[in-house]
Amino acid sequence: MTEKFEAELARLREETLEMGVLARGMMADAIRALVAQDLSLAGSVKDRKAELRDRLHKVEDRAYEVLTLYQPFAKDMRTVVSCLKVATALERIGRYGKDIATVVGHLAGTAPLSGLLSIPHMARSAEAMIADAIAAFEAGDLAVFADFSSRDDQVDALGYSIFRECVTYMLEDPTTITRCANYVMVARYLERSADHACTIAEATVFMVTGERVEIK
Amino acid sequence: MATISEPIIETRGLNLRYGPSQALRDVSISVPARRVTALIGPSGCGKSTLLRCFNRMNDLVPDCRIDGLVAYHGADVNDPAYDVVELRKRVGMVFQKPNPFPKTIYENVAYGPRVHGEKDRATLDTIVERSLRRAALWDEVKGRLEDSALGLSGGQQQRLCIARTLAVEPDVILMDEPCSALDPIATAKIEDLINDLKEHYTVIIVTHNMQQAARVSDYTGFMYLGELVEFGETLQVFEAPTEELTERYITGRFG
Repeated sequence: MTEKFEAELARLREETLEMGVLARGMMADAIRALVAQDLSLAGSVKDRKAELRDRLHKVEDRAYEVLTLYQPFAKDMRTVVSCLKVATALERIGRYGKDIATVVGHLAGTAPLSGLLSIPHMARSAEAMIADAIAAFEAGDLAVFADFSSRDDQVDALGYSIFRECVTYMLEDPTTITRCANYVMVARYLERSADHACTIAEATVFMVTGERVEIK
Repeated sequence: MATISEPIIETRGLNLRYGPSQALRDVSISVPARRVTALIGPSGCGKSTLLRCFNRMNDLVPDCRIDGLVAYHGADVNDPAYDVVELRKRVGMVFQKPNPFPKTIYENVAYGPRVHGEKDRATLDTIVERSLRRAALWDEVKGRLEDSALGLSGGQQQRLCIARTLAVEPDVILMDEPCSALDPIATAKIEDLINDLKEHYTVIIVTHNMQQAARVSDYTGFMYLGELVEFGETLQVFEAPTEELTERYITGRFG
């Protein structure tokens, strides 16, 4: 196709990847703010939500434009629709970052329980999946997805163990309920973020091979 | 490769040469009945030549030599004993440029049945109406069947040519770039018509317009340098082609 089309397609991918940088940053800073109880960092995460939305709309608009003007086929078509799916997943991940930043406010002034249980560990696992999925999407390299399902299972298992631990704390000491309820929510947000990393992985596989796979 | 339940036209190991140049190389294709099959590929790839093999239009080309099999309902159409007039009646053709006869609308459609011996006016009336209806033209011309066909618009003329083909009761309709001389509205009507036609007929269409091929066909064959590179279900060919060459052609990254 034309050079203009190639340039538009490259721009669409770049804008999707830029969204990835923003979404990852929101998630990483939210976790840092949670661990450090840093309310101003948490506030800055919440402030980035509007930009995330704008960037999602930018990716969508460019994708619609490319589809309308060039009616791409084969890998070009798959790239455009994959960018849409990846951008949607990234927006969800960024918003979970914002939700975690909101929890930082709820926990302000309370002592963290037992080093936040396994939340920092779970966050590292989920963030690594997100980073790997974005890198694979950028490079079109599917090798990293070989153990993605089991990595997602590990994240799920960590989420469940946090839930069990919290239940134990809450039964023993009702003053922990507010903290534990928030931890359970954070674990839930991280578990969902890892699921969205899997969505990015699935979209990347479709982009590269044209095949639909389920990574769960 | 798609599995085809009921091929109506088949070629096996088909080679065709015009003098020293080889236009088709070892083409084997099974065209499914009552489906739309599109042939795509760059200019000179052999797609129109292949289309013309299906009703022996290449007979008229001097210095044209064919080997390999072209079968219609299982019978070798290049067999010297094969009735080519019957073949062309059953396998009709619509060309790029509408080519109505300089006669009335009615006579254009009645011409084929008359040539094949139909004389009864009531029967001809029935055939004309049915053919024009199936070509989605009846409502536009029913009040002026005795007007000259040359007064119709380009899109109407093309549908008249399709009606003329239908009048002799074919079961295969070959279309060689049927919309390339038409505006977008007339093109859309022909595309709708192609979709209706597959209820009763097998349609094989050659087109340079890949969006059109993707829209109207159930199966697509991609040809290059006289070879059938890929043949499969249309969505598979356009969404995730098996062959790298097909991918490069349909995404416009050729050469």
